[in-house]
Amino acid sequence: MKPPVFEYVSPASLDDAIAALSAPDAGDVKVLAGGQSFVPLLSLRLAQPSLVVDINRIDELATITEEGGVLTIGSLVRQRQAEHSDVVKKACPLMAEAIPFIGHTAIRNRGTIGGSIAHADPAAELPTVAACLDAELVARGPGGERTIPAAEFFTGFFTTALAEDEILTAVRVRAAGPATGAAYEEVARRHGDFAMVGVGAQVRLDGDVVAEARIALSGVDIAPVRASKAEAALTGRTVDDSVLEEAAQAAVAALSPSSDLHGSAAYRKHVAGVLIRKTVATAAARARENR
Amino acid sequence: MSTREITVTVNGRKRTAHVEVRRTLADFLREDLGLTATHLGCEHGVCGACTVVVDGHTERSCTQLAVQADGREITTVEGLAAADGTLHPVQQALRDNHSFQCGFCTPGFVMSIYGMCEEKKAGRPVPCSREEIREELSGNICRCTGYQSIVDGAEAALAGAGTDTTGGQA
Amino acid sequence: MAGGSAISGLVGASVHRKEDRTILTGTGRYIDDVQERGMLHCHFLRSSVAHGRIVSIDASAAREVEGVVRVFTGADMSAITEDLSFAQPIPGLNSPSYPAIAHDVVRFVGEPVALVVAESRYIAEDAAGLIEIDIDPLDPVMSTTAGLAEGAPELFGEVVPGNVVHTDEQLFGDIEAAFSQADHVVEQSLDQHRWACNPMETRGGVATYETGSGQLTYEASTQTTHTLRFLLAGWIRHPIHQFRVTANNIGGGFGLKFSAYREDVAVCAAAKAIGGAVKWVEDRNEHLVAAGSAREEQLTLQAAVKADGTLLGLRVTMKLDAGAYPINPPATVYAGLVRTTLPGPYKLPAYQFRHHIVATNKASYISLRGPWAVETLVRERLMDKIAETCGISPVEVRTRNLITLDDQPTKMITNVTLEHVTAAETFQKLVEMVDLDEIRREQEAARKEGRLLGFGVGTFIEPAPGTQEFWAAVGFPFGSEPCRIRIEIDGKVTAFTPQTPHGQSHETTLSQLIADELGVGFDDIRIVYGDTDATPFSMLGTGGSRAATMASGAVVYGSRELRKRVLEIATHILEASVDDLDIADGVVSVKGAPGASVPMAQIAMGCWLAPDQMPPGTNTEMEFVANYDGEGGGFSQASHACWIEVDQDTGKIEIKRFLVVEDCGKMINPAVVEGQVIGGIAMGVGGMLLEHSAYSDDGQYLTATFMDYLMPSAPELPEIEIEHLEFESDKVVGSRGVGEGGTVLAPAALLNAIDDALAQVGRPRVTETPITPTRMLELLGVIEKE
Ligand SMILES: Cc1cc2nc3c(=O)[nH]c(=O)nc-3n(C[C@H](O)[C@H](O)[C@H](O)COP(=O)(O)OP(=O)(O)OC[C@H]3O[C@@H](n4cnc5c(N)ncnc54)[C@H](O)[C@@H]3O)c2cc1C
Ligand code: FES
Ligand code: FES
Repeated sequence: MKPPVFEYVSPASLDDAIAALSAPDAGDVKVLAGGQSFVPLLSLRLAQPSLVVDINRIDELATITEEGGVLTIGSLVRQRQAEHSDVVKKACPLMAEAIPFIGHTAIRNRGTIGGSIAHADPAAELPTVAACLDAELVARGPGGERTIPAAEFFTGFFTTALAEDEILTAVRVRAAGPATGAAYEEVARRHGDFAMVGVGAQVRLDGDVVAEARIALSGVDIAPVRASKAEAALTGRTVDDSVLEEAAQAAVAALSPSSDLHGSAAYRKHVAGVLIRKTVATAAARARENR
Repeated sequence: MSTREITVTVNGRKRTAHVEVRRTLADFLREDLGLTATHLGCEHGVCGACTVVVDGHTERSCTQLAVQADGREITTVEGLAAADGTLHPVQQALRDNHSFQCGFCTPGFVMSIYGMCEEKKAGRPVPCSREEIREELSGNICRCTGYQSIVDGAEAALAGAGTDTTGGQA
Repeated sequence: MAGGSAISGLVGASVHRKEDRTILTGTGRYIDDVQERGMLHCHFLRSSVAHGRIVSIDASAAREVEGVVRVFTGADMSAITEDLSFAQPIPGLNSPSYPAIAHDVVRFVGEPVALVVAESRYIAEDAAGLIEIDIDPLDPVMSTTAGLAEGAPELFGEVVPGNVVHTDEQLFGDIEAAFSQADHVVEQSLDQHRWACNPMETRGGVATYETGSGQLTYEASTQTTHTLRFLLAGWIRHPIHQFRVTANNIGGGFGLKFSAYREDVAVCAAAKAIGGAVKWVEDRNEHLVAAGSAREEQLTLQAAVKADGTLLGLRVTMKLDAGAYPINPPATVYAGLVRTTLPGPYKLPAYQFRHHIVATNKASYISLRGPWAVETLVRERLMDKIAETCGISPVEVRTRNLITLDDQPTKMITNVTLEHVTAAETFQKLVEMVDLDEIRREQEAARKEGRLLGFGVGTFIEPAPGTQEFWAAVGFPFGSEPCRIRIEIDGKVTAFTPQTPHGQSHETTLSQLIADELGVGFDDIRIVYGDTDATPFSMLGTGGSRAATMASGAVVYGSRELRKRVLEIATHILEASVDDLDIADGVVSVKGAPGASVPMAQIAMGCWLAPDQMPPGTNTEMEFVANYDGEGGGFSQASHACWIEVDQDTGKIEIKRFLVVEDCGKMINPAVVEGQVIGGIAMGVGGMLLEHSAYSDDGQYLTATFMDYLMPSAPELPEIEIEHLEFESDKVVGSRGVGEGGTVLAPAALLNAIDDALAQVGRPRVTETPITPTRMLELLGVIEKE
């Protein structure tokens, strides 16, 4: 279980990295960020790139900023750094809630925010957070920068809208305002495992009424899924048990997960409903506290 | 075969070497530097046997490349005990609690618990209850012990961390 | 504690382990730490097809890779080795022999089809990727049912007709009468899944061939150096006197490392063929796919019982999924163990046991910590079902049927004498520590809040080490255990044991015994193991929870003999009678006469350097090989209680409390005992709830990484409370093994707790493992089964 032969560069600037990625003779090029998914794939020889572009020296990608109500997290920010960032906790409580579910401390010390999103594991937390919040994913390639809405970014099982010569540089989300609460819950086989089902919910209240509900699920499809039917069922309503039940049912009816060794399709549907009820209730309660 | 020269400070000692770019940090430590305390239990990031401290944080050495360690500072289990053989307080706490059996997972746990103690000394939040310690140790797999004795040891090590000034170097 | 000074009474104390300094500082020598001069590295190419005929293999591109030293195909390897054969003179055993590397048919995903030897593991893997192999697929047999079906493909043709490796039926007592007298016939079945040992250190070895002397050394991660040596010597055609097998630190075994494997054969043969040092360390992916798994058995039981729950008779049928290739020991040993142990500590007048061992296209069925464990699992679950049928409590049904100390000696229906067995007493103690009525009240209260709690108990006996009769009934020898002990020239002590400890702390426990028996300091004793050049022969190494009795007995008897010799000499020097002498801290002294003493070092030096000047008529040999016969052997026993809460939303099971009352006789080191008990339980719990060596219907292996093969981690496991009984028999060595019992009994207590929870909501019992969250919600009727 050893990585195959490849060429390797570790540019210190984004421009150099993009140049390496887009060089005409580059062949099968891959970006290396935290390596917590990519290096195991190399060792299992499931990935056999000709060139690896290590972006870990590009300091400009490792910053967290909040400006004008927009939180920008550089793609190279370590998951652990975001988890403990006061800025993130305040402006994007859903992300702060979700990150502790990722693996273990030593994984998060190295794994990056952008790496998880670019990897696009349908069971992962951060893609689900991005989908939930309609994050904007900033990509840079030889043709310059573009912004991809989360809804268009996750195109399938481990696949994204990023071109091969593009680097995900940042994640942008609208900072959570007042009267907003978030919750993330998941069910995994063991502590730290990828979720069988995960749900992120963010609720903004207007008085007691839901002004905006955002719900996304992991583990139930080839990419993160927005529970738009449930969101609609909640909007304009006061959160109570029957509304929660209605929303959960609406969401679950739209799901068609597949089965694997860890959880059957029926199981995933059932747990999706359970977690939607739970997270929305918690998010709404937190929103009430934040009024 | 693509190689690079790297300089890494390992347990306080600067080491310069030519490594193949595909070589993992774990193999570099074990095979090139002969620091075989860092064990490989899975080589895909799950078991934690290869945990080392890099620039003050616990990281897997099987999920990074040796070239990525260029310029960084690494502590392995070999770096904990004092030169005269006195065990580091973390090692001593684990010994006192009969924490381990076959010892294969041990270096990974020692480094994870050492990492927790360093976080505590730096004033960052660390697990307190046994349940929290169990969660924090979830990234290390032990097949022998059922973990209870390791939690005992970790609890003792954490209780002691920051309260004494004599502890080992590194 | 434990400095250089002898503290009498080390036995029974939780002495700091000798092993810990090494393992905590990372200075051990595990197999992957070995770096010999010019050492080469191995990588096996393995079949990706479950069953098929090899049409062609082309390794030419691989041989061209820079750094590749040799590539062995199956044909190349068979030219220099014998096929592995574990055939034994067991009536009806169909045990196919097989080559180290497959060359005609592959029979499971992961079977070796080529070996690359190169300058690094990286290069070996590069080259393996260039080997072209064409395999014509055959239909795979993926279950015992499929294997036994009419017209099923036969894995080994006529060598294993109908894929039946072995089948047998044995009758004890009048089973027909038992069923004709029964008030109830209680039935129970269980389909247990495959799971695996998964020691944190995988298999591996370094073979070093010295071309000049013809000497071959194999340093291996093994539980049994001597057996490995004599098995391998034949297969690699190497004279055994020129062959040394060693083992240093071993990162766990759990039964897996008891056999010799085809990879061992190939690695040793490669070292000889190439002439140098060759290392193979299995990676985790290979380990999961190819090292073998355990526990895949299907049992059905029928019990004849009286209305009050008294057992009258038991009919059992077992099917065992043996995988493709036999290993050591033969599968009949597993069946024999299950059959012989199943009646457990209960009075059972009549018994019928039938088994079918079936070959399938999977990796080998291997030993896993208490390989007979399914007997306890099905029996203890059956007891609960009998209780339910008869309307009595799980406590009552056991109390009514258990054999107590007062009943002994007595014979199990399987012709094994039970003496000093305290399973009933451990159970009694457990019951005293638990308030069953209170538990039922709590469960009811919880149900009113919508919460679901379950409670389960179980009890068992463990052949640790078992008795002559027991092993005769199983069909496996119960050897005695040797130990060579030497008082060195400076009075310090070296003991050579055939045990091959891999976590069991023998360096500590055997030193404790020697320190107490011989009167030398704990730190003045070294235990040597894992070297066929140095240690006395034993077939078993470390396995079968034998060491606590057998290895202990050998060092106790050996120490006593040397003590006798030392004292005998000292009587002359000190002019005192033996009864007036004592040894402490390595000094022989006259009791009550402080000045009158002689250091053992002085006596030892005299014996080694100038034996002719020692007192005439004394025995001056300072080395002695003791052989301990086990004094008839014996059993250990325990009872477990398990409290769970089932999350009815997610199907997750939380173990809220786990209580153990165990009796392994005299504890040498309680911390070591507790470590074994807790570690064993962890493995049993992991096996029932998380772990699964899963195959798809077409024979692909589905759990080939630790992302999918789920080892229990700290948060999944409970805190375990232990109560010790320490029944002391009249034997010299009253210590019994405790390494396997936790894994044997915990699944029973846990599944009984799960069944108890299910019963409260009117749902049927578990019939299949593992109990995944999905399965739990299916059992609860929350979701449909697929
Ligand atoms: C034991 C274990 C448990 C884990 N558990 C979880 C879990 O529960 N939940 C979870 O979400 N993850 C989990 N992970 C994965 C972890 O979160 C990874 O950090 C994450 O999936 C990838 O981030 P990375 O920075 O390590 O990226 P890498 O591994 O370096 O890269 C992953 C992929 O993304 C691409 N990529 C990375 N960064 C960029 C970029 N900026 N632009 C373009 N492409 C890029 C790479 O080319 C590669 O294909 C676990 C990992 C391990 C080893
Ligand atoms: S060897 Fe690195 S995590 Fe297992
Ligand atoms: S002590 Fe053996 S794996 Fe932990």
